Amino acid sequence: MTTQPGEKLISIDRTITQSQVQAYANASGDHNPIHLDAEFAAKTPFGTRIAHGMLTLAMVSEMLATAFPDSWASGGTLKVRFRAPVFPGEVIHVSGDIKKVTESDGVHVAEINVSVKKDDGTDVITGQAFVPVNRE
Amino acid sequence: MSIQDLQSGYKFPPESLVITEDQGMAYARAVGDSSESPSQQIPPMSVIAAGLSRFIQHLGLADGTVEVVHASQQVMFYRPITPGEPLEIQATLKSNNERRGSWFATVEMEFLDHAGSQVAGSSSLIVVNPS
Repeated sequence: MTTQPGEKLISIDRTITQSQVQAYANASGDHNPIHLDAEFAAKTPFGTRIAHGMLTLAMVSEMLATAFPDSWASGGTLKVRFRAPVFPGEVIHVSGDIKKVTESDGVHVAEINVSVKKDDGTDVITGQAFVPVNRE
Repeated sequence: MSIQDLQSGYKFPPESLVITEDQGMAYARAVGDSSESPSQQIPPMSVIAAGLSRFIQHLGLADGTVEVVHASQQVMFYRPITPGEPLEIQATLKSNNERRGSWFATVEMEFLDHAGSQVAGSSSLIVVNPS
């Protein structure tokens, strides 16, 4: 990447499946029945099972790791709000746009607007990431 | 342990956390992430996810008896974490307030290596609604 303001990160489009939610529950240890138990979830305000927010957020991290393989895990920060649940079967679109690059004490940091949206444009996640970048 | 019983500033007992290469690979497969090689470094978000799951359980929020909403999340990564590396989680209930019957709790976690250096951190806002 050249890491210029306005540049877009490589986006991710993915369908969230119930089998993926189950696999994520096993991998993360989060077995809340709202994610796994259809009968239980039917009685919640959502009316059906929902994906873990951290599962969706993992795809934002994947996008950042792909764009900044040398620095995302070595100085990256991310601050987001979860705005809507994702239901299994829905398609999500993960994107990021470099807003600006600032310099302090010789270190350049890219500020990136990140978002996850549904097909209908509903915001799932919005927030900002900050990643050190090499501009030499 | 119930969230309603805890005061802001409460420090949870330290927790040990190890994510093996197999666990890192399972996590990467689950989230569909092929951007990193779990044999060299585990997906950084897997550490946060594992830590958060534990404290959600400790607070009795994982059994479905209450409605839990994950409202916001902040993560910080300071260096890559290798598979099998022993970590310690130091977690604090940074804030815990009741408004209109719902509890708004912020859990902050620091992930330390064997030398005591922080390798990652997080802050999670959890809203617990009355069932």
